[in-house]
Amino acid sequence: MLKTVNQRVSLVLLLIAIFYLIFAYKMPSFPYVIVDADLIPKVLGYLLIFLAVLLFFTKNDETDEQKAKRNIPKKEIGMLFGVGGFILLYIMFLEILGFVLVTALFIYFCSWFLGYKNHIANALVSILLPVSLYLMFTELLKMNLPSGILPF
Amino acid sequence: MGSLEGIITGFQTAFSFEAILFVLIGVFVGTIIGMLPGLGPISAIAIMIPMTFGMEPSVALIMMAGVYYGAIFGGSTSSILLNAPGVSGTVATAFDGYPMAQQGKAGKALAIVAIASFVGGTVSVVLLMLLAPALSSVAISFGPPAYFALMVLGFTAIASLSEGSTIKALISAVAGFMVVTIGIDAQTGTQRFTFGSINLLDGIDFLVIALGLFAIAEVCTLVLNRKDNTMKNFHNIGSLRLSKQDFKEMSGPMSRQSLLGFIIGVLPGAGATIASFIAYITEKRISKKPEEFGKGSVKGLAAPETANNAATSGSFVPLLSLGIPGSGTTAVMLGAFLVMGVQPGPMLMTERPEIFWGVIASMYIGNVFLLILNLPLIPYFAKVLKIPRPMLISLVVVFSMIGVYAVSFNTFDLYMLLLFGAIGFIMRLFSFPAPPFILAFILGGMLEQSFRQSLTISNGDLSIFITNPISCALLILSLLSFAFPLYGQLRKKKVS
Repeated sequence: MLKTVNQRVSLVLLLIAIFYLIFAYKMPSFPYVIVDADLIPKVLGYLLIFLAVLLFFTKNDETDEQKAKRNIPKKEIGMLFGVGGFILLYIMFLEILGFVLVTALFIYFCSWFLGYKNHIANALVSILLPVSLYLMFTELLKMNLPSGILPF
Repeated sequence: MGSLEGIITGFQTAFSFEAILFVLIGVFVGTIIGMLPGLGPISAIAIMIPMTFGMEPSVALIMMAGVYYGAIFGGSTSSILLNAPGVSGTVATAFDGYPMAQQGKAGKALAIVAIASFVGGTVSVVLLMLLAPALSSVAISFGPPAYFALMVLGFTAIASLSEGSTIKALISAVAGFMVVTIGIDAQTGTQRFTFGSINLLDGIDFLVIALGLFAIAEVCTLVLNRKDNTMKNFHNIGSLRLSKQDFKEMSGPMSRQSLLGFIIGVLPGAGATIASFIAYITEKRISKKPEEFGKGSVKGLAAPETANNAATSGSFVPLLSLGIPGSGTTAVMLGAFLVMGVQPGPMLMTERPEIFWGVIASMYIGNVFLLILNLPLIPYFAKVLKIPRPMLISLVVVFSMIGVYAVSFNTFDLYMLLLFGAIGFIMRLFSFPAPPFILAFILGGMLEQSFRQSLTISNGDLSIFITNPISCALLILSLLSFAFPLYGQLRKKKVS
């Protein structure tokens, strides 16, 4: 039934629209308010359904180049998830270990993971950049970035 | 405050030591970011916003304007040297710029770009100074119905922001509008789509969306293309010197396209991309030697560059005077204004003349800096292109993270950034354009507010939008502005 990419995408969009509309209908309504908070969300939900249906019946007019973007080798998908994992760790440890330490570790290991083999240059950038950014934000812009376990 | 006093205040602000220094920094950093593959003015502005938090809003916005045109110039540089336009506005630049670089005349091409950008930028700033105040003084009397119609006019830009499918562009815009409905409703206090999370009560921050959809999504693309070695192939840019003949050839396209580019830039949705293509096509049509176009023609390079810079200043007319962005980039610029507590629109000229005129005045300085800073520094700037991609990816992630964290000091927003990065990447994979999303995100809140205010005034009567003459005229204009690009696309399809 779902032969084309547009049809599959439109199904996902329909589900999103239905989910969105369910919550829009759950919003409370107030007496004496001429336009309630739920009006625009409801309009948007139905509009998305309408557009999703239109997309369902539309011929895919993507260029070959656009289609080729979706052919990602399995190894590269792994790399994407790897970088996503590094970012998740960065966020989780930012306030615990502090900006300087976590940023240095992130730059070094993420660049290394992606294939950067010049360890000296990598280490230099990993240390100098977070330190200078930290000093710029805390001293010049007077904004506190998490110091974490470091004493400054 | 009168117009003249306003202009003097603006120039005083823009010519202060601090402002000149920050325009210089803005142009410099903007050029570097704009040169990096995939990172255009949108990412450049979004990444630079956190750096401005401790600054006076007028100086901060002046710097942002510098970042904006610096990034556009930077985009042209990578178009010429690598045939890899960072943004769509510089695609036409590559048509003749890249062949010129292949002939060993990259320096000459870059010099032409710098001069054409300077002329296009400067001429259009003069026009901006004349037009923006006039438009502001008309728009100052706008009530909620007219504002609603104005926002609708802003939305029509979506029709021309599509990269192929208009339906996909509209879906992208609806999604952007849906995201802006998250949070507490300002009029009734109702919580909308917060799912009980206190972190969502204030809605999702603009920077999370801008950096997620553009910078983090670009990181994903860079991860996939990290082994691309095009940058290593480039070595020498050659001489920057232009001959008298070159200047003679450039003068015609520059004078015509600065005017045409400006007019196109003012129209919502048209912007730099369309201006540069129209400029290229027009010059090719009227040229005595059209066969030279595409093979390194001076005219073919000067025309789109003049037009895209003129359109950039042109797009500031609706932004500053009406508060509506005509493109993804100006939408992010509007976001930058809002982050700094400044609301662009008709009141800006009277309430914050130092910002209104300061930003305009800074464009003169910015254009001069682009010329005197970039010409001698081009060979050094070009080295930026040699940053190894794995390192570039890590740096873009770190800058995006700081950008978001510095707004809220809350890691929840960082998780949201990652989520919107993934959404942005999926949108790219399925050819859903991101600019309509960001445009709808910026305009959606204002559109809803003015719509509801209008209906409250009229006691629910929708005819208020038709009976109000300004609103009616703007709605007709919106209809035309939406229908023309669609008609154009349909005709193109029929012809092909």
